[in-house]
Amino acid sequence: MNRMNTDSPIIEIQNLSRRYGKLDAVNGLSLTVRAGKCYGFFGRNGAGKTTTIKCLLNLLRPDFGGVRVFGLDPRKNEVAVKERLAYVPDQVAFYPWMTVRGTLEYLASFRKNWNGDIEADLLKRFQLDPNQKSSHLSKGQRTQLALIGAICPEPELLVLDEPTSGLDPIVRREFIETVIGAYQSGDPGRRTVFVSTHLISEFEGLIDEFTIIESGQNLLTMEADAARDRFKKINVRFPQELRLNLSGALNVKRNGRELEILANGNSEALLVELKSHQPEELRTESLSLEEIFVASDILKKAKA
Amino acid sequence: MILHIDFKSGTPVYLQLVEQIRHAAASGGLRPGESLPGIRPLAEELRVNRNTVAKAYAELESQGVIETIPGKGCFLREVSSPLTKTARNDLLIQEIDRAIVAAHHLQIGDADLLALVKKRLDAFERKNKAAND
Repeated sequence: MNRMNTDSPIIEIQNLSRRYGKLDAVNGLSLTVRAGKCYGFFGRNGAGKTTTIKCLLNLLRPDFGGVRVFGLDPRKNEVAVKERLAYVPDQVAFYPWMTVRGTLEYLASFRKNWNGDIEADLLKRFQLDPNQKSSHLSKGQRTQLALIGAICPEPELLVLDEPTSGLDPIVRREFIETVIGAYQSGDPGRRTVFVSTHLISEFEGLIDEFTIIESGQNLLTMEADAARDRFKKINVRFPQELRLNLSGALNVKRNGRELEILANGNSEALLVELKSHQPEELRTESLSLEEIFVASDILKKAKA
Repeated sequence: MILHIDFKSGTPVYLQLVEQIRHAAASGGLRPGESLPGIRPLAEELRVNRNTVAKAYAELESQGVIETIPGKGCFLREVSSPLTKTARNDLLIQEIDRAIVAAHHLQIGDADLLALVKKRLDAFERKNKAAND
C-alpha cells in the first residue's frame, strides 16, 4: 500500500466549474483538504455543495477545472479513488429486500478491508437488529446503517453530504460522536473528513477548517480557530447617543445609545475607539461558525 | 473534573482544555497521580475533534503538567517545574502585569486589587481543602 505523505492534500479542487444548462452550479471553485483534518463545506441550499461532491466521486464530470482525490483524477482512477473513501449522502437507499446483516455483507463484498469489531460495536450502539429488513428501517436507522457501512472499511477519507439533516437530535448527536470516536480514533493522521452541512453548530467542535460556498464560488476559507478569532461581536452601551467613527466595522446595528458591531479582524481598533467614549457596558464575544456563515451574506456585500 | 467548551470565548478550543485542566490541578479538581479522561471518550463527550484533545494533552505534557504512560493513559504529575525559580517568577510576572493593566483600565485601585488577589487565593485554598477532605 502506498502510504500518503501527510503533507500532500487528500482533496484538491482547482477552478472547478459545472453547469446544468445555463445555470452555473459550481463556478470556479478551488479548495484544498489536508490529511487528518475535518473539513467543513458550508453553503445554502443550491450553493453547489452536492454538485462539488458528485464531481469528487465521478458521479458528475466537471465542465472546466478539475478535482484530485489522493492525488488522483477520479475520472481516470475511479476504483483506486473509491476504494480509499466512503460516502454518506443525505438520502440513503438500500435494496429493500435485504436485511441489515445482508446489506452490510453486500457492502463489505466491495471492500478489501472490513472491520468486524467496529461493525458489531456500532450495531449494538445503534440498537439495530441485524435481521430487520432495510425497508422497515426509519430514516434515522437507515442513516446509521449507512454510517456503519462507511466506517467499517476504515477509509482514509469520509465524505458526508448533509448527513444529519432530517434526523432527530439524539440520532444526530450519536452520528457525530461515532465520526469522532469510531472513525477518527482509528489512525488519526490518516482519517480525513469532508462534511457538507448547514447544521453547522452541531459540527462546530469537529471542524478544523472550512469553506463557505456561495453561488458556486469560494466565499471564504479559514481555519476554525482563526475564524473565531477574526470575527467578533461587540455589544456596547453609552450613557447617551454619540457620533462614532466605526467605518472599519463589518456591520453596525444601532438602537439609540446601544450598538451591536461586527468586527472582521479589527476588533482591537474598534474597541480603542469605543473605550475612548467611556461606555457604560462593553462586551466582546467571538462569532460561532454558524454566525460567521450567517454573516457571510454581509461579507459578500462588503467584498462587492 | 468537568470540562466544557465555549466556542464564543475567542480562545482556541485546545487552549480552553489546557486552561481548564491546569485550573482543576491548581484547585484540587484533579490530584497528582489521578488519570485524565482518555482522548477518545473526552472528544466524544465534548463533541470536539479528536485531534483537538490530543493537541491539548500534548501541550500539557510539554508544560510538565501531565505525563503519558504508554498503554495506561495520561496522569497528573506532582508539581515539579523543570524551570529555575527566576524563570518561573518571570513567567508569573507577565501574568501579574496583565492583571495590573486590566485593573488600571477598569479603574480598580491598588488596595482593591491586592484584596481581590488575597480573596482568590483563599478561594483556591478552600476548593483544595474541600477536594482533599
